[in-house]
Amino acid sequence: MVKMLVPYPENCTGCRFCEMACTIYHDGKINHADARLQVHRRGVKVDFPSVCTHCVSCGEDCCVLHCPVEAIKKKDGMVYVDQEECTACGECVEVCPFGVMRMEEKAFNCDLCGGSPTCVKFCPMKAIVYEEPKPEQYEKVKKLLAVEE
Amino acid sequence: MKMKGYTGKILKVDLTTEKSHARPFDEKHARKYLGGQGFAVEIVYHGVPKGADPLGPQNVLAMAGGVFDGFPVGTGGKVAFAAKSPATNTLAESIMGGSIGPELRHAGYDALEIVGKAESPSYLYIENERIEVKDAADLWGKDTRQVPEMLKKRHGWDVKVACIGVAGEKLSKIASIDCDDRQAGRAGLGAVMGSKNLKAIVIRGTNDLVPAEPKKLLGIAFRYQKIYEAAPSFIEDTKYGTGEFLGWINKEKGVFPTRNFQESVFAEREKIDPYYWAPKYVTKNKACFACTKPCGKLFEVKSGKFAGVAIDGIEYETLYSLGGACGNSDVESVARANELCDLLGMDTISAGVTIGFAMELMQRGIITEKDVGFKLTWDNASDAVPRMVEMMGNRRGFGDVLADGVKVAAKKIGKGAERYAVHTKGLEPPAYDVRGMKGHGLAYMTSTRGACHLRAGFYAPELVGKFWKWEGIDRASTANKGFMVSQTENFMCVYDSVGLCKFSRGFYLIAKLPEVIEAITGLTFTEDELLKIGERIHNMKGAFNAREGVTRKDWLLPPRILQDPIPEGPSKGQKISVEEMNTMLDDYMKARGWTMDGVPTPEKLKELDID
Ligand code: SF4
Ligand code: SF4
Ligand code: SF4
Repeated sequence: MVKMLVPYPENCTGCRFCEMACTIYHDGKINHADARLQVHRRGVKVDFPSVCTHCVSCGEDCCVLHCPVEAIKKKDGMVYVDQEECTACGECVEVCPFGVMRMEEKAFNCDLCGGSPTCVKFCPMKAIVYEEPKPEQYEKVKKLLAVEE
Repeated sequence: MKMKGYTGKILKVDLTTEKSHARPFDEKHARKYLGGQGFAVEIVYHGVPKGADPLGPQNVLAMAGGVFDGFPVGTGGKVAFAAKSPATNTLAESIMGGSIGPELRHAGYDALEIVGKAESPSYLYIENERIEVKDAADLWGKDTRQVPEMLKKRHGWDVKVACIGVAGEKLSKIASIDCDDRQAGRAGLGAVMGSKNLKAIVIRGTNDLVPAEPKKLLGIAFRYQKIYEAAPSFIEDTKYGTGEFLGWINKEKGVFPTRNFQESVFAEREKIDPYYWAPKYVTKNKACFACTKPCGKLFEVKSGKFAGVAIDGIEYETLYSLGGACGNSDVESVARANELCDLLGMDTISAGVTIGFAMELMQRGIITEKDVGFKLTWDNASDAVPRMVEMMGNRRGFGDVLADGVKVAAKKIGKGAERYAVHTKGLEPPAYDVRGMKGHGLAYMTSTRGACHLRAGFYAPELVGKFWKWEGIDRASTANKGFMVSQTENFMCVYDSVGLCKFSRGFYLIAKLPEVIEAITGLTFTEDELLKIGERIHNMKGAFNAREGVTRKDWLLPPRILQDPIPEGPSKGQKISVEEMNTMLDDYMKARGWTMDGVPTPEKLKELDID
């Protein structure tokens, strides 16, 4: 079975180290909006990371189906944006239920750092784990995100 | 600009005119003051005119992110606030772990200087270059959780909010500033915000932060990550929070101030020891921005009369102040009192010590049940402590007498109450009975903001017996303490300027900082150069205080420490005599190169390039 990023909201402290590590690793600079995962703090009781690498995480609403020019593709189940075909229309950012489809000149998302996820390496609390998918963990994050609306 | 990492700008906002202006600073400024506390102290030192009323429009509130703020350095996200303190009349800083420092840098500023006074309740909104003073009529009277919630609903979940509670609005001299359930608690800086009609500072920053050497920085971060993970303090702090050594300090050292410093061992300590309560009440770990060794705990009470309490805590200092110092062994009551302090925006240390003081006054018949309205007694602590916190924050009834801390309360009450008021320079002491820790007692006096455990952090060397360059430190001796305290004060000024949490000071001793600073800023420093910056910052605070007339005569230890020996326990019989106090102070002045009155000399200021 393929490995993915699995979130454990119950372990997250809200330190946002993962976001910083992600952008500095990819872009050599820090901008939380460009992190390929997002950390949320909703009052004293709730901190959680929001991640998505494969269609398994979000199921039906996947950005892949919504891209009008079919620029979002899958390889071994993993979602990626074909930079040649992306028109930067922003549709995927709109529909991404985890809020992790990012946009600069073109859309982009988590690339698992080429197979050795930086965020996992830096998370001190094992709130993001690189392992076989656990749908129930994604459900937890979806619920937490829904509260926010 | 050669230097990286910094934004290179300081934003000044005048609340009276609602005008703002961003001034650039150069490498020289960075090399002189580093950032964080250094920047904040510089702003207040040069910005507040002599004799200014701390609660008047002339006072300046500075806020600055440390050099590491916004970068992936474990525990390196602290923000420094500074102003002239209404509690002590000195230049006081208060450091906080909330995420507003990093956000300020993303907005494009290393520091913020707030002057003047808004005409009516307002909040400051900063979104990159957009600076607005906005109406806060609907926020006035709201608590420190309601305010960010309302503001985030209005401006989006990504804004960061630092705000005051009702205590700050009512100018309580022990009022704090809150952000992300973390507080800049000490020395009444919340009242400075209140006096400016400033309910909140709201920041949204979307700019990049660019380090000089990204790869190297990530490598350093990873190295420390491994060091943290293997450290016993990581494991203990993560499980039990900062109260982890409460049992030890009681049983082994006997310096846990209890019932307003009448005792130094709390007999019921086990009931407030996190080894006992953590498994029952902690539902999650919490951390400051960028912290990879989280000491924060989500403490939740699920049933009983305090059901519903949910706080980031209870920290060691609060277990003492609202617990032991008030003889309160009901940990749920301590949590509730802690929550009320946070919501109303009051420093838990000052609030608890002030209540413990009033409890001793009732014990001695100096105040009575009639004055207070209920039994403010040791055996009624569980009910009385949270009740009194609530009255203080709202300045209701007897709460108004206590709302400004022990010094003001003792004066208002009279009848010899001053004999039992424990403070230096008007600031209530933290959780160390300095009668059994002489150097730490000196540090309570020399601390520029009044009794403080973190300006020198000298409890660690004295309790452990070694730190940094010293070994075999004897806590009962006065020898060399003047020199050692002056050195550790310089050390701590550097720490607060890079923005590191002091719980990391055992990991990054000064010698380890230059490589991190270089990876972020590209600037190189030697260990000595950093300590010189620390010395400069401390001297600026000393010079400011001397200018305001706060000199040696105002530094002295309170009667309880000088006259009443510790009655029992491992430190039985210990106190600091007047003679010992004077010897240590003399040594300290010599080590600092200050006059015997505690005034930095013109030569010293010149040597440090302070104008
Ligand atoms: S795996 Fe890499 S790209 Fe994906 S979120 Fe983590 S750090 Fe970012
Ligand atoms: S590094 Fe881990 S604990 Fe910290 S915010 Fe990210 S997921 Fe949460
Ligand atoms: S150790 Fe505690 S106080 Fe220090 S940065 Fe981490 S969470 Fe904050």
